Amino acid sequence: MGGSCSTNDSVVELNPKMATHPCYSKQAHQYARIHLPVAPACNIQCNYCNRKFDCSNESRPGVVSKLLAPAQAAERYRKVKARIPETKVVGIAGPGDPLANPASTLATLKAVAKLEDDIHLCVSTNGLNLVDHAKALREVGVEHLTITINCIDADIGAQIYPWIYFDHRRLRGRQGAQTLIDRQLAGLKAAAEQGMLVKINTVLIPGINDHHVAAVASEVKRLGAALHNVMPLIAEAEHGTYFGLMGQRSPTEEELAKAREEAGVSMAQMSHCQQCRADAVGRLGQDCSDIDQDAEPAADLGHGRSSGLESERDPERRLVVAVASRHGQFIDQHFGHATRFHLYQLTEQGISDMPDREVSQYCSGEDTCTDDESSPVADAIAALKGVDMLLCSRLGIGPWQALEAEGVAPSTDFTGMTIKDALQGVQAKWVASLANSADYADDKIGEVI
Amino acid sequence: MAFSITSACIGCNACKLVCPKNAITNVSGQYTISAHRCTECVGSFADPQCASICPVETAIVNQDGLALNPPGSLTGLPDERKVIAMSCVSRVSRRESL
Repeated sequence: MGGSCSTNDSVVELNPKMATHPCYSKQAHQYARIHLPVAPACNIQCNYCNRKFDCSNESRPGVVSKLLAPAQAAERYRKVKARIPETKVVGIAGPGDPLANPASTLATLKAVAKLEDDIHLCVSTNGLNLVDHAKALREVGVEHLTITINCIDADIGAQIYPWIYFDHRRLRGRQGAQTLIDRQLAGLKAAAEQGMLVKINTVLIPGINDHHVAAVASEVKRLGAALHNVMPLIAEAEHGTYFGLMGQRSPTEEELAKAREEAGVSMAQMSHCQQCRADAVGRLGQDCSDIDQDAEPAADLGHGRSSGLESERDPERRLVVAVASRHGQFIDQHFGHATRFHLYQLTEQGISDMPDREVSQYCSGEDTCTDDESSPVADAIAALKGVDMLLCSRLGIGPWQALEAEGVAPSTDFTGMTIKDALQGVQAKWVASLANSADYADDKIGEVI
Repeated sequence: MAFSITSACIGCNACKLVCPKNAITNVSGQYTISAHRCTECVGSFADPQCASICPVETAIVNQDGLALNPPGSLTGLPDERKVIAMSCVSRVSRRESL
């Protein structure tokens, strides 16, 4: 992203509550957060969400959360805190809506607050039930609240929300959207009056609400919101969302920048949002959510994705990176469309080419080739055997999980960059992590690029 | 007179939270409706609550096996697209089972 953050910075300086919260302040990236997945139920349907998986906008696609009961969630926090002492933020963001699961959400927040004084508790909600729970949230110590408000016009809302569940009924179309918007704005006002710092997320959907973000920004400003995060729509057919299947496109970087500029007239904008999953752990950009919730702090928690980074297992200290690129220039190819991968070997000294791998040559064998079990994706995964990291523009949920299971860490963070710049970025982070692990040999969490 | 939950259920727990008769149980991710408790919400609410919040089409059926939320009623996706959606989902679940 890398947009300007200047309006945000001045707000943050004035507000100490924001300064140590990585979601609110770009400067707080050294502080870590944990999202506890205790809220599976949802009370609205968004066209960018497929409830088979975590919400693809509030939560990055890739891993379906293992749901936790409140007591398990508090225990998970305790263990993560022991491993990552800079964990300063505990958030509840789903995978459904926290306030569609108020008992579980409040019980979890209470349990965590009991364990720790110096912690930011935060909740991310669609706002439908917020007005009913704003006071209770404040009472358990929630200071940071995020509401996703995509529009303040029911005609637009009807194109985003096919239905909501409210007052014991399923409301559809304009009626549902109007009810949601009214309740969101009332909830925002109530939360701001309770003294909570309210951030508004707006998913930018080209052709639907892109002309409307300035109106949203001005209205939420009036009702007491502190910060605005205009996020690009994530819509891929393989996520199975309405927008994904109907071919609704995501905004371009230019459209996103323009929307943020227009919204920035009335609201401080943030641009460093990583669209974390509902079970995210660690510092922004360093997802460590594969921490085994049952493992004790002393156990080796760095399995799987970080295996290629551990010097003791790989004395030559090299990282093999595969790239999916259409013309060998940019990180611009969907994993599922790749027919070949460009391979590079990264060492501390430099970057060198390795032979390309053709997907078709890695057919996983006759047993799997004969019937419907055979798929190009399985072949592509087979082609990446021994690779530590994959850079591509997009990646479906199934392949993401399958790659992780094979020890390949996928990343879509470098989309649009030249291969050279991306590899240099990966190399710099990796070398830094090696230096870090030499200093803190037993601390493998946070070493994942 | 009772509803039941099919294998389309994604286990989001929403129905259990809104059932006025506590008729829904979750045994390690498998949600079921106790037939002796379910009243189909007659006398409690105008609409059956589980079927009013359920996000998945065909997950809740009546005694005749008819879906309370038939295909297309929640997503609004035209048929052809839904076929793609379902094939995506089955591919993912197959991979998960590997």
